Amino acid sequence: MNSIIFKKEIYTYFRNLNYIFLPLIFFFLVISIFPLVIGPNKSLIAKIIPGIIWITIIFTSLLSSSNFFKDDYNNGIIEMYLTSEKSIEFILFLKIIICWFFTIFPIIIFIPIVSIMFNISLHTLTTIFLTLLLGTPVLVSIGIFGSALTMGISKNNILGPIITVPFYIPVLIFSASAIESVSNGLPYDLQIYVLLSILLLILPTMPYLLKYTLRISINN
Amino acid sequence: MNISKIANLKYFYKHTKNVSKILSFITFSLFIVGIFWGLYIAPKDYLQGDSYRIIYVHVPAAWLSLQVYIVMAVTGFIALVWKIKIMEIISIQSASIGAYFTLIALVTGMIWGKPTWGTYWVWDARLTSELILLFLYIGIIVIYSSFTDKRQGAKIAALLAIVGLINIPIIHYSVEWWNTLHQGPTVTKFEKPSAHITMLMPLLYMLLVFNLYFVTVLIKRVRLGIFQREKNTKWMENYLND
Amino acid sequence: MKNIDILVDNATCLRGDNLIFDNISFNLSNGEILFIMGPNGCGKTTLIRSLCGIQHLENGCIKINNVNINNPECNFLENLVYIGHNDSLSENLTTYENLEYLNKFDLSNKDEFISNPNKFLKFFDISKYKNYLVSELSQGNKKKVALSRLLFTNKKIWVLDEPLSFLDEDSKNNLIKLFLDHITNGGLIVTSTHIDFSNYFEKSKYLNMKGININE
Repeated sequence: MNSIIFKKEIYTYFRNLNYIFLPLIFFFLVISIFPLVIGPNKSLIAKIIPGIIWITIIFTSLLSSSNFFKDDYNNGIIEMYLTSEKSIEFILFLKIIICWFFTIFPIIIFIPIVSIMFNISLHTLTTIFLTLLLGTPVLVSIGIFGSALTMGISKNNILGPIITVPFYIPVLIFSASAIESVSNGLPYDLQIYVLLSILLLILPTMPYLLKYTLRISINN
Repeated sequence: MNISKIANLKYFYKHTKNVSKILSFITFSLFIVGIFWGLYIAPKDYLQGDSYRIIYVHVPAAWLSLQVYIVMAVTGFIALVWKIKIMEIISIQSASIGAYFTLIALVTGMIWGKPTWGTYWVWDARLTSELILLFLYIGIIVIYSSFTDKRQGAKIAALLAIVGLINIPIIHYSVEWWNTLHQGPTVTKFEKPSAHITMLMPLLYMLLVFNLYFVTVLIKRVRLGIFQREKNTKWMENYLND
Repeated sequence: MKNIDILVDNATCLRGDNLIFDNISFNLSNGEILFIMGPNGCGKTTLIRSLCGIQHLENGCIKINNVNINNPECNFLENLVYIGHNDSLSENLTTYENLEYLNKFDLSNKDEFISNPNKFLKFFDISKYKNYLVSELSQGNKKKVALSRLLFTNKKIWVLDEPLSFLDEDSKNNLIKLFLDHITNGGLIVTSTHIDFSNYFEKSKYLNMKGININE
């Protein structure tokens, strides 16, 4: 096990606890704002809360992934990776997983609080859980791909989100539909299988795509 | 090897000036014929009346919006793998043409939607995926324009176009699936009114004219792209002075 | 010992549509050091990056042992260590952890570093910063940490971008000592610099990026 390589990625979050807590706080802040805007109508909120959770998750994951490579790029670590004879695909894979684990996974753990706030039934809650577990790693990978594309541009705060959000659509559609099906008492196996296959397709291929993108981004 | 690449741009620029003029003339005349054919000669639709005639713009534009994306992604792929300059230029210049086609398809679709659905916009599968396609195009144009180094911008944009091409079917089918789930009935209005040959012929003709238009505009834009890239080189100076 | 030859032939590089440098040619073999000199913006960094294969050349080629470095079969990176003017250090790791990390990336004597890190830290006099986060270090000390990588690498080709910037006198002398050691052991060094220190070396080559000619 390449322990120091693992440690480096983890320390990035451990030594900047804000990276972990800010997305969590942001998520709960935005979620709490929705009832203020659409009114405290219980049945309406119950109907649209899965969509709200997913939209908020998107914003949160964009926050943490859109400048993902900025530091490594400015510190010359990307150059170091690409001038090393070691294959960096594993490191990139690790980076995706760890970014997801520290920025999105805490939110997923705290989703039951949302379900108390918005009266979500236990059955629906498990489905929300499942779709988030399967869908968010894809969102994070795509967001990181966007940040690799925009890495070389100095002012790119909103550019990454603009190019990546269209790619989120399949995950969004199937997640939202799974949740809707379960709250209407319909089967939702198909949606879960589709989400699972998207995840299994994206995760192994993304490191290779990222490596290639990074090469172009630092100009070769 | 590299000298042939630069020469290639030079060759293209010098030899397409007249081609582009002739093509513009041909396209324009064929277009007039097509408009006349579609709007006057083609028969009325028994269900939709005259309003269906907008398909002579809408359908070719929608078709081209996808076709141009494929052209953009394929030329982008060639540019990335074989590092051919002119392919880079073709790829990135296709992006804005494709975006215009997508916009035309959307707007004509909305105009057509008013008499058909009674409203300008419905979240129909085709309209929705066309809208997402527009966002994909915009992403490519925006990322290209954010780079000060235009060559690198073209490469990144090409990469995004290729990844987008892989994604378009996935996005399209998921949107279609989403649509059948939510509003099955409205789609039936679209059921094929078994197009008659006299209606179909002008449509195919317009498709051809739109393709010709794409090629014409592409040549013009590629010439402009070459000019922007090579404006400081000697051959361009000499060529302009001649 | 392995023989290594670097040949740069007619290298031309553009950024966007602006010419950065053109028709740069030189060759370098074991035991030689090349100084790339010239004013700011003359393309020193770009040339150095293209030697590492991370900068696309518009024209010309770079060959190591007669194999073009763009050839996927050319594993030149296993012989090459590159330290850019950004130090390739993680701000969130300590000095020691950073060196451990860099150690992982180079073909290097890993056990020696793990068992006796102080020996390596002492060379550039950064032992007391061993457990400092890199973000707390001064520019000069960061540079020293980055350059400490050269102490444990087994790679033959060193490609360094402005290694002397921010360094104090002692560290400069240490670095030159390190260079001399490497060269007498048959290594190759390509470095950009503002300060002419070629008089320390017997066999040094000198590339002036404005004049584009090589004096031996």
